[in-house]
Amino acid sequence: MLTFFAGVAFIRNIAGSLHSRLPTLGGASQQLSCLHTSISLNSKHWEKNNHKVYPPQLQDEPRRPAEVYHSRRQIKYSKDKMWYLAKMIRGMSIDEAIAQLEFNDKKGAKIMKEVLLEAQEMAVKNHNVEYKSNLYVAESFSGKGKYLKRIRYHGRGMFGIMDKVYCHYFVKLVEGVPPKPEQSTSFDQAKEYVQSLKNRTIIHSL
Amino acid sequence: MMNLPALVQSLRFSLLRIESRLLQLTGLETQAAPCLAVNGPGLLPQIDQESQQDEEQGPGLMDSILWMAAPKKRRTIEVNRTRRRSESKLIKVQNNIEPCPECGHLKQKHVLCGFCYAKVSRETALIRQQMREMEGGPLRAPAVETVVLYEGETPSEQDREKRIVERPRKRPAWFSY
Repeated sequence: MLTFFAGVAFIRNIAGSLHSRLPTLGGASQQLSCLHTSISLNSKHWEKNNHKVYPPQLQDEPRRPAEVYHSRRQIKYSKDKMWYLAKMIRGMSIDEAIAQLEFNDKKGAKIMKEVLLEAQEMAVKNHNVEYKSNLYVAESFSGKGKYLKRIRYHGRGMFGIMDKVYCHYFVKLVEGVPPKPEQSTSFDQAKEYVQSLKNRTIIHSL
Repeated sequence: MMNLPALVQSLRFSLLRIESRLLQLTGLETQAAPCLAVNGPGLLPQIDQESQQDEEQGPGLMDSILWMAAPKKRRTIEVNRTRRRSESKLIKVQNNIEPCPECGHLKQKHVLCGFCYAKVSRETALIRQQMREMEGGPLRAPAVETVVLYEGETPSEQDREKRIVERPRKRPAWFSY
């Protein structure tokens, strides 16, 4: 039994070292190794995004802004309630986001503020970000964690299965000034709608 | 092919028969025909019982469990999402947050700065601890005013009859004499 466990640990070690060696091989092999580059939500390997290495930039290329991916798993909170907070801070600069979360009364706000501060520290320490205020929240969302199931007793000997909910929280910080959301006037929106109607094609016509 | 007059005759007879049947059903005809006459009530008794039963069941149905508001169809996830994510349900961004001029931490405009309040309450706790030691027990506060003096301070003319609480440290900048 002990040899079996040692063997499993050995195999896991090899796999771990292989995983860590893969990103350092270079950008070309990176493209081959991950066939699906943008999976919906990317939540299962959010932290792995931090290990992504780009090839060195050419002289005339615009400077690529630094990106930091951070998450916290199995937070004792509901994913639906966390979503409201995540939606609030989307697109804000990190200082604004931390200020809003500090004075929000929800339980998830305190946890989210900790996550943001951790990510900011990571960015400055490991990801070559010069000014800690020069970051903005590019992506922020919540996901469902592994639930525990408990029995909820009802009358007449009936019972229900209660879920003890947990959630994950993911955030991506990008260096730079937060992009301004495009604000179109009502007239422009109406014009766009009319244009979309005009662009329709009738199938099987002459 | 049948001759036309015979056809017309048969049609006329059938129409008359239909008319008489209709009149019989409605009871509007006034033909005198030999039939049996029975002595009895004007309306048939069955109709009365039915109407009585209907009246009884009316209020009963209102109380029974079968008449309860229930959803007709399952609300789709799209409908649920539009309700949960409507503008009124989203969290509003607060615009009353500003930095505290004393310490630089963030504070709400109508609320004391949390950091400054914690700093003051820590010092106040130590002063209160000293006062508790001086009094030596509950309900033994002297009936005079109290003044807190820090290192290197002497009581002035106004502090002659006051209880003096000594704190062995430098006077904090925010505690003016």
